Amino acid sequence: MKKVLLAPLDPVHDIGLKMMARGLEAAGHTTILLPPDLLLEEIISRAVEDKVDTILVSRTLGYGVAELLARFIDMADAAGLRQTARIGIGGMAIRPELAAELGFDAGFGPGTSVAEVICFVEEREYAPNREASLKQKFDICQGYDYRYRHAGIERQVKRVTGMIREWVTGRTSPGIMRAELRHAGWDAAKWREGSVDEYFTRQYAALCGEIPRNFYGQGELHPKTRRVTPGEVRDLEAYLATVRPQTPVRSVRHTGKRPLVFNQYGTGCPFMDIGHILASEAWGVDGVVHFDPSWGARTEGFLDGFLTHQEDGTVLTPANLDRIRAGIHAATLWQVRAHRGLNTPETVVLAGKLGADLTKINFCYGMLGAGTDPERMVVDGCAAVGYAAAYNLPFDIVTNEELCGVPAHKAFAGMLIVADLALELGAKPILQPLFAYSPEVMINGWMADNYIDFNVAKVQALRQILNAPLWPGAPIGFLTHTEDRVQSAITTALHASLAASLQVDAISIASADEAYSGGPITAAARIDTLQAVQEGFRFFGTAGIEPTAQAGVWAQQLVEGIEQVLTAVAERGDFIQAVYDGLLGSTQEGAYPGRIGRGTVIGC
Amino acid sequence: MQEAARQIMDALDVETFFVCSCEAEGRNLMTGLLKSWGFRDVDIVYARHEGPGTRVRGRAYIHRPSDAYGWLQSGVAQGEGK
Repeated sequence: MKKVLLAPLDPVHDIGLKMMARGLEAAGHTTILLPPDLLLEEIISRAVEDKVDTILVSRTLGYGVAELLARFIDMADAAGLRQTARIGIGGMAIRPELAAELGFDAGFGPGTSVAEVICFVEEREYAPNREASLKQKFDICQGYDYRYRHAGIERQVKRVTGMIREWVTGRTSPGIMRAELRHAGWDAAKWREGSVDEYFTRQYAALCGEIPRNFYGQGELHPKTRRVTPGEVRDLEAYLATVRPQTPVRSVRHTGKRPLVFNQYGTGCPFMDIGHILASEAWGVDGVVHFDPSWGARTEGFLDGFLTHQEDGTVLTPANLDRIRAGIHAATLWQVRAHRGLNTPETVVLAGKLGADLTKINFCYGMLGAGTDPERMVVDGCAAVGYAAAYNLPFDIVTNEELCGVPAHKAFAGMLIVADLALELGAKPILQPLFAYSPEVMINGWMADNYIDFNVAKVQALRQILNAPLWPGAPIGFLTHTEDRVQSAITTALHASLAASLQVDAISIASADEAYSGGPITAAARIDTLQAVQEGFRFFGTAGIEPTAQAGVWAQQLVEGIEQVLTAVAERGDFIQAVYDGLLGSTQEGAYPGRIGRGTVIGC
Repeated sequence: MQEAARQIMDALDVETFFVCSCEAEGRNLMTGLLKSWGFRDVDIVYARHEGPGTRVRGRAYIHRPSDAYGWLQSGVAQGEGK
């Protein structure tokens, strides 16, 4: 037990010292808390008189701080206190380097915990209790029974999914054949050990397009990529061995369990991605999403090896994915998106085999907003959903076609078609409405007053239809961000707080670089937004954000619109024709049925 | 400067408020400042001129994705860069 003297060196501020005194008393120490506005001589004299073991002084005001502290140390020295007591200084004006320079035994800056000070008093090394702050992964879909709450929509959507399932029966594609091969013939454990399965490679290459075929045949790389060197791999291992144990895994969430907060990575380089993921985890992200380059979705088949490049999106290869997964903390959820291109089903298989927690599939967006041929996208999308069920990968159904201009009710009809198909196939879908300043909203002036009502309407509408998890994205606040990092971080934080108020299950957030297109997103930009989101959660806690009555009106209109769209698609009797007819989004609205992979569906 | 730059994960952002006559001048001042410090891969992330000057954020990329990262090289993560 130690005797500790606590004295503020300010005229008035002593709140911090009061908290420290309380903590020290609770830890069994004796404290003497002096009032503010004493002369230095009075403090020194009391310390000598009481024969204290530790002196803790604080200083909040910044002016003249160095001179004052230097004088205090000189006087303590002259009184012989330096031989008998340890002296620490803390407060808003204190930086540890200044304290050390002036001869204090410790300096405690803003954000110091009581535990740190107790360790100083007890002359123990401070080790943050990382275990206490460790997050636990939990299943986003837990607690949802996926029951329909709207009989009319259930009836119509089941007519549509029945039609789709009948249409895909007997059809396949190179993408599905690669997925089947990867599923049945690729042993991830043996591959990790370095074993080369030549039979698999030969079979696989035969199902690929030109670039992967040349890679496996002649060792040619994609022209935009380079291999990471063995030296870089060794350096990464050393970096992770050092940094990973030092990296706390925090959560930006405050009092609520939800929403989980995800950000995306995909700098182009798997090693830079790992650096960004570690930084994001340390600043409180709950999950990360792998973004691949756009050319990956247009290429039949995957390359392999550690490949890096200077473009948006990190190349999907087994080696890249596996290395990134190994760099991610066990408590962090990992999503690999698979929703939009020629490798959709195989991406799900790879994600499943390499330990992902989640994937992302929406064949309606893939064919209307991402350039893939509708026939190919539907047949591959259905297979992808089947693999998501087989590998127990819940997946979100992102409705990014809204960003092309497709009205929300049409995008939601597409989302519900994919969700129902998932339920039929035993998978766990997560609905992903956009929290966005979408073209539809801009044209109609629906956010002229606030960004709240229409986003709330989306959540209310979906909750009226299906009891399913909700994960607004992606990222929230899309098209509300500017290049000003303060504005960008604030708009994300406010949208995140709205999501928390609505008690949705997860959100995807942007970085503060969201609107900057001149170069790659920086780690600092990710941290800025996480900080802002944390502050938003802290500010609102479990208090809510109140929409206006308009939200309920729009929610009702959305539900009616969705039912009308699904009815129209069902009555068309041909899902692919319905897509070309614009029922899920027309060319006038900005939805263009894609052409990549046209003519590659085999069968019937 | 060079040693510290090795430990920058990707980019150095510099923010300030230039007393100047227009946004273009504010942008040029920031670009010139970053280049005068020896940075070559520089850009303006954000600039807005109002009244007496320009609020500006400049950026110098030290490590772009796929570069050889100073912070990944042996010793830096262990604190030897200090």
